[in-house]
Amino acid sequence: MPEKELPQLNTVIHSRVRLAIMSILISSKEVDFTFLKKSTDTTDGNLSTHLSKLEEVGFIYIKKTFRGKKPLTTVLLTDKGKEAFREYVLTLEQILPKSH
Amino acid sequence: MEARQAQEDIRLIKEMIEKTKKTAAKSGTYFILWTIIPILAILGMYILHHLKNYQWIWLNWVVFTTVGIIITVILLIRRESKENVKTYVQIAIFSIWKACGFAFILLGFIFPWVGLYSYQTISVMVSVIAGIGVYATGGITEWNLLKWCGALWWFGALLMVMVDYQYRTLLIIPLLVFGYLLPGIILNRNYRQKGVSDA
Repeated sequence: MPEKELPQLNTVIHSRVRLAIMSILISSKEVDFTFLKKSTDTTDGNLSTHLSKLEEVGFIYIKKTFRGKKPLTTVLLTDKGKEAFREYVLTLEQILPKSH
Repeated sequence: MEARQAQEDIRLIKEMIEKTKKTAAKSGTYFILWTIIPILAILGMYILHHLKNYQWIWLNWVVFTTVGIIITVILLIRRESKENVKTYVQIAIFSIWKACGFAFILLGFIFPWVGLYSYQTISVMVSVIAGIGVYATGGITEWNLLKWCGALWWFGALLMVMVDYQYRTLLIIPLLVFGYLLPGIILNRNYRQKGVSDA
């Protein structure tokens, strides 16, 4: 009998930092770059790379404004990103053993 | 993908969500402000009553409420300019208190002014609304103390119905102390531990 094929996870989200970013964004309307960097424990360059990947596929929207004279980068989750995250979690639940 | 990796992903998701919820710190300054403002207004009311200047009691409440609203708006604007995360929890709490604020104005000023009910009923009405705001905030933040404080406001409203009207407004003072000030002080202590200030 062939083994049941395991569901495939979204490869864009399937990275520790990008999953952390998406998890933070799912509970927030918007988050700034500094908060994301602190929460994901990454460097500016590393975080920017991951954000670019998420932005390329349309999962997030990056807003650049000013707070007074200081530049402010804010990140928001798009509807596509919310749906992708929801599917990612559903897929994880399918992978987990039934007892979980 | 193995189940172990999936479990690790779920753990990371939960950790990030919890961290975000906790880091979006909640300040108790608004609770403290809205303890001081009504107490000052009650004091003003009793002074005017003692001086038999009854016609100014309404203005006393309007002035203090207006000052309270202005200070609240200023604090909100300053907080907004410093916060680096806007969670749905914060948005929900803000909406609840905005709704309660409009209800306070309608029930505390507009309806008695148009003669819908006597001014003697105001303190009962506002206590019920305060209870809704506090309890709902406790529910959203999963903080049981706030839920108890909300229930206290409702208990206070019940007590007010049973006492003579001249004592009703005085009953608001212990409700403010235990239903607003106490949680406000606790929140502010936790907020300052995060190294944030309203200044």
